[in-house]
Amino acid sequence: MRLELENVSMVYQSGTPFSARALEDVSLTVEPGERLAVAGPVGSGKSTLLAILAGVETPTSGRVIHGTREISRRQTPPPGSIGLAFQSPENCLFEKTVYSDVSFAPRRQGLDGLEVRRRVENALAAVGVDPASMSQRSPFSLSIGEQRRVALAGVLAMEPRALLLDEPTAYLDPAARRDLIRQLVELNEQTGVTMVMVGHDMDELARFAGRLVIIDGGRKVAEGRAEIILTDSALLARHSLDPPGTVEFCSLLSAAMGDQVAPALSEEQAIETLMQIMEGKC
Amino acid sequence: MLVAMQVSNMVVGQYYPGTSILHRVDPRTKIIAACAFVIVLFMVNGFEGLAVMGAGLAAVIALAGIPLPWLWRGLKPVLFLLVITLAFQLFLSSGEELWRLGPVPVYRNGLVQGAFLTARLLLLVLSGSILTFSTPPVLLTDALGRLMEPLAKLKIPAYELALMMTIALRFIPTLVMEVDRIIKAQKARGAVTSGGGLLVRARGIMPVLVPLFVMSFRHADELALAMESRCWRGGRGRTIRRKLAFSKKDAVFATAVLAVLAASLWIGRLQ
Repeated sequence: MRLELENVSMVYQSGTPFSARALEDVSLTVEPGERLAVAGPVGSGKSTLLAILAGVETPTSGRVIHGTREISRRQTPPPGSIGLAFQSPENCLFEKTVYSDVSFAPRRQGLDGLEVRRRVENALAAVGVDPASMSQRSPFSLSIGEQRRVALAGVLAMEPRALLLDEPTAYLDPAARRDLIRQLVELNEQTGVTMVMVGHDMDELARFAGRLVIIDGGRKVAEGRAEIILTDSALLARHSLDPPGTVEFCSLLSAAMGDQVAPALSEEQAIETLMQIMEGKC
Repeated sequence: MLVAMQVSNMVVGQYYPGTSILHRVDPRTKIIAACAFVIVLFMVNGFEGLAVMGAGLAAVIALAGIPLPWLWRGLKPVLFLLVITLAFQLFLSSGEELWRLGPVPVYRNGLVQGAFLTARLLLLVLSGSILTFSTPPVLLTDALGRLMEPLAKLKIPAYELALMMTIALRFIPTLVMEVDRIIKAQKARGAVTSGGGLLVRARGIMPVLVPLFVMSFRHADELALAMESRCWRGGRGRTIRRKLAFSKKDAVFATAVLAVLAASLWIGRLQ
């Protein structure tokens, strides 16, 4: 589903001494089926952007459009169309067992038992949780990493047409981060669900995103294909962001060799570049 | 209903920053003044007395420079109570019939009583709000702690009680923000938002209530740990950086309040 923001501005507690501007005139289009990353320093307004994009927060001005439908306070998105996971979604676990928590949304959608079971099993499998051994455990007995997966499965079980994730890998260990990103990419490739992910770890975003938007001070300051934005070290530095490690590696290599090395976005690409250089030397 | 509330718009006595004389008066003076105001409020009979008190309160509000929309937002949560009070008095009394609203008779007694009680309630809420609007929470607890100091001699842990209040106040905005977030997340998962019978509604609260409880306990746990690791050990021998001191301002303010209260008592008692 295509998601659009048109000249969206957001002011919290407007008209009071606590009024705070979170977004200023942001326009953005998320194409159906794409993987878009929204990056920016802490407090730049990226979480607000995600909440508005999901239709759970109403902007002070501007329009939000899901597909062909304009979203407003009255006209909320149809239930199940948007999967939204705020930061630390495991804080929203509440049921007695993993199964009942993940099946909460499909049950609310009024699906029959068989379909609910299919969705729960698919959703758990998509985030790498074994349904057979975990279904009947209490979500509160799991580790944070497992809880995170279960909570995300609870969102996936709606089979939403767009999935919006706010720093889904925060507070996870490195291996779990890598797995989760890989699973999200696989899910997008298999089902074509539109994905928007907010984050500031550029290594992660490099592995995830097709396109990237940078938000700073509530404004959209850059937008483009991931390989262009992520290799622009000067742009990233201006907005308190680091380029991915592989890009940094290539620019150090360029400096050491006194020769321009094409920046690499993944380890595989970096190794290939390195092999070519070594072959040339031999 | 909890889940349908616009939580982020709630201001229950939220501090309104300012530099007016009311903001600078010692918080203890304000607390005592507010208590005295409430006591007198329930001693006064008749509208004249209430009018004097209302005028006094209006003067204080003007003095504090608190804008009316802010005041209005603070009143919103109790509006329901005011309307109910008025309605009960209007329709559940007897005596001389004034007019009929459809089939329901409205009595003179009820109208007078209702208006009086509503005005009294309104002044009660306003006087409390003015105190919290013009005093930062930290000062409020400091002052309460000092006022309760004599209780320590009776083995009542005054300092600890005051600290508990500060912590409770401190966590209101945090919890409000978290509730807001949880509601939005659960709504996105299709949790019941409004409508349905009592049972359906009660169940609709569970997806919000359970996470809120879990999170509150976690906050409490972490706070206790943080306090202990920084050697917190109760109020014994603890000094305060901001020393509270009565000054000329307090004398002026207290005199003015006393004058208004005395006048309203005198006028109210004449009835």
